Amino acid sequence: MSEKSGISRRQFLGLSGGVVAAATLASMGIKYHGTKNERELDLNDIKYKESETDVLVIGGGMAGLFAAVKAHDAGAKVLLVSKGRVGSSGATPFAKGIFVYDSNTATISIDEFVEQVSKSAIDTNRKEYTKQMAMYSKERVEELKQWGFFDSPLYHKSFSTPIKKRNIPVKERIMITHLIKENGRIAGAAGFSFDEPIVHIFKAKSVILCTGAGGFKPNGFPICDLTHDGTIMAYNIGAKITGKEFNDGHSGSQTNPADCYTGWHGMFDRTPSTNGVEVHHDLGVDLNYKAYVLGNPISMMPGADNTSVEGGPYIPEGFNRQNQNDENRPSGPPSGENGDGPSGTPPMNGKNEKVTSGGGPGGGPSGGAPAGVSQASSGGASAGMSIHKSEGIAPINLQGESTIPGLYAAGDALGSYMAGAIYTQVGSSLAGSAVQGAIVAQAAAKYCESVTLQNIPSSKLKTIKAEILAPLKRDSGYGAAWVTQILQGIMIPNFVLYIKKENLLNAALAYVKELRDHHSPMLKAANLHELRLAHETKNMIITAEMKLKASLMRTESRCSHYRLDYPDVDYKNWQAWINIYKDSEGNMKFEKVPFGEWTKA
Amino acid sequence: MSIKSIVGCIGCGECVQSCPTDVIRLSTVNKKAYIAYPADCQMCHLCRMSCPVDAITIDSEKSIPVMVSWG
Ligand SMILES: Cc1cc2nc3c(=O)[nH]c(=O)nc-3n(C[C@H](O)[C@H](O)[C@H](O)COP(=O)(O)OP(=O)(O)OC[C@H]3O[C@@H](n4cnc5c(N)ncnc54)[C@H](O)[C@@H]3O)c2cc1C
Ligand code: SF4
Ligand code: SF4
Repeated sequence: MSEKSGISRRQFLGLSGGVVAAATLASMGIKYHGTKNERELDLNDIKYKESETDVLVIGGGMAGLFAAVKAHDAGAKVLLVSKGRVGSSGATPFAKGIFVYDSNTATISIDEFVEQVSKSAIDTNRKEYTKQMAMYSKERVEELKQWGFFDSPLYHKSFSTPIKKRNIPVKERIMITHLIKENGRIAGAAGFSFDEPIVHIFKAKSVILCTGAGGFKPNGFPICDLTHDGTIMAYNIGAKITGKEFNDGHSGSQTNPADCYTGWHGMFDRTPSTNGVEVHHDLGVDLNYKAYVLGNPISMMPGADNTSVEGGPYIPEGFNRQNQNDENRPSGPPSGENGDGPSGTPPMNGKNEKVTSGGGPGGGPSGGAPAGVSQASSGGASAGMSIHKSEGIAPINLQGESTIPGLYAAGDALGSYMAGAIYTQVGSSLAGSAVQGAIVAQAAAKYCESVTLQNIPSSKLKTIKAEILAPLKRDSGYGAAWVTQILQGIMIPNFVLYIKKENLLNAALAYVKELRDHHSPMLKAANLHELRLAHETKNMIITAEMKLKASLMRTESRCSHYRLDYPDVDYKNWQAWINIYKDSEGNMKFEKVPFGEWTKA
Repeated sequence: MSIKSIVGCIGCGECVQSCPTDVIRLSTVNKKAYIAYPADCQMCHLCRMSCPVDAITIDSEKSIPVMVSWG
């Protein structure tokens, strides 16, 4: 049961150093390495189940909640399927502050708010989505209040209230691995259960991906259940993907970096609250830059190391840390947040007053760390994740529609660029998922009125089932946990994803291609838990390829994308987003979409 | 080792359902929760917070090597 390798755990803590370190770990005799597949279930016991619905909502976070409820209210037959429990999986359970634009109390108009966000985001935000979030935030928060969301630190119960009331069927602990397209439009999805050997086929007129974002199962950020599954399955059937070059920049503590709960100072125990307008330019990559230039220790505690370094990411005028300072906000880098930004503000309570608990990982100024705990920070806590809402399915309109008819996305799964490629408005990530979920649901329900359920040929279903079960059927191969560790060794060091330069992006890409071509097709699984890990690992490898290639393509620095070899914002060539898609031969392709224009199918 | 022990479990299954990374399972033999896949524990404490009888203890150290961005 334990993965102990004879080397003391303390020796592992704080390990870093890229591929070399990963190779060292591999040689430490970690269990998963190279052993025969000791299958724990009988392949003959595997069953298949088919269900039908109008709208299939995949994901049970804030976006999935509103997508299911509002699609039902718009008259569609809805089924919600999720990898984890509704309200207790994805990023949602850990977000405690939700933004409300209240015209009665706000000191600026919605249009002024959008302009502020755009200024901070150096034009990377899609203004229509920024505005949409602000416009409908209050309606969604009112509903959450009615359902009891603000009464408990755990969200499952309040999320279940409107779902149960409507008798919306929910299937949890099922990982969707495939979207199914027929005749150029969506026909359903497929996946498997963690609890029983069942492959599930869901036939649907429309699918809403509320699968959140993801990462490389990083340490210090509680998103290890998210591996961009929705993005990758949409990419696999031809949808366009965006935002992969940007990086969430949260850092954690050098001491017990994987301990998310302590790193966030017990914030997960708190009931959620609301906050008003507060636009920042919360980077995180600046801390990575500082660590890169100065070396350790880098601390985020008040009064700690405030040495400034030359160069580094550009911060738009009016948004530098000094200007953002207040008595609760020391000039030391990332203090944590009420939520979104790596260097966000201290948490607020419902009355818009700053409260003294909380703060992000690595030592918030407001909460502070337990006495005696070192506050030296480590980066990469959220490695593999972009800024919330900047990555995911590229929408063709304000209704979260993808380039594939019938396929929609909302929340962190949608590359809406609602906040831009940087954290801007505090608490807007939760609000955005709620707002988008509700709006997309109505569009999906309407779409269902004009189409019929499609027949999925049995040959196609057979192929999908075979792909889902392949790691279980392999007698030999590679353990997913080991491949994931190697991937982390390649991608997490700060000189790869955070402080980017061409030669190292290419070097990392060479390793990732090896994992893609050689290891991905040879992943093995002994049980349903490992089957999940195998599919997640596959998705992480494709994500890594996307991140590296998009980072190579973007020959400038802007917001959370920092190129040491192209340190300036390039207003001439890069007023554009990058879309990624698969061409008919299966190659990964890239296109530029000028800021403000919509993606074309 | 991340999630460390489960003592005094009454077998309600709440922790199994609330764990995002599928670390805990209910034993088919005694119907009690056990730590099945500790390597995947992200120390988020959702299981502990969901347990009606406070049966779960969580440690700060990860049971497998930890990769960080700089060290
Ligand atoms: C520690 C932390 C603190 C945060 N604090 C704040 C904050 O204070 N304020 C704020 O506004 N934002 C905050 N955020 C961001 C916010 O949590 C997210 O932007 C938001 O919750 C995303 O909601 P979502 O529904 O789009 O996705 P998620 O909540 O990530 O939900 C994704 C869902 O999809 C399911 N899923 C994933 N893959 C599959 C699959 N293959 N098959 C089936 N189901 C799948 C998951 O189980 C999950 O239910 C924070 C995030 C973190 C991690
Ligand atoms: S701490 Fe979180 S990841 Fe670990 S077992 Fe509990 S719920 Fe699962
Ligand atoms: S939540 Fe507590 S009582 Fe219920 S199964 Fe888990 S450990 Fe046992």
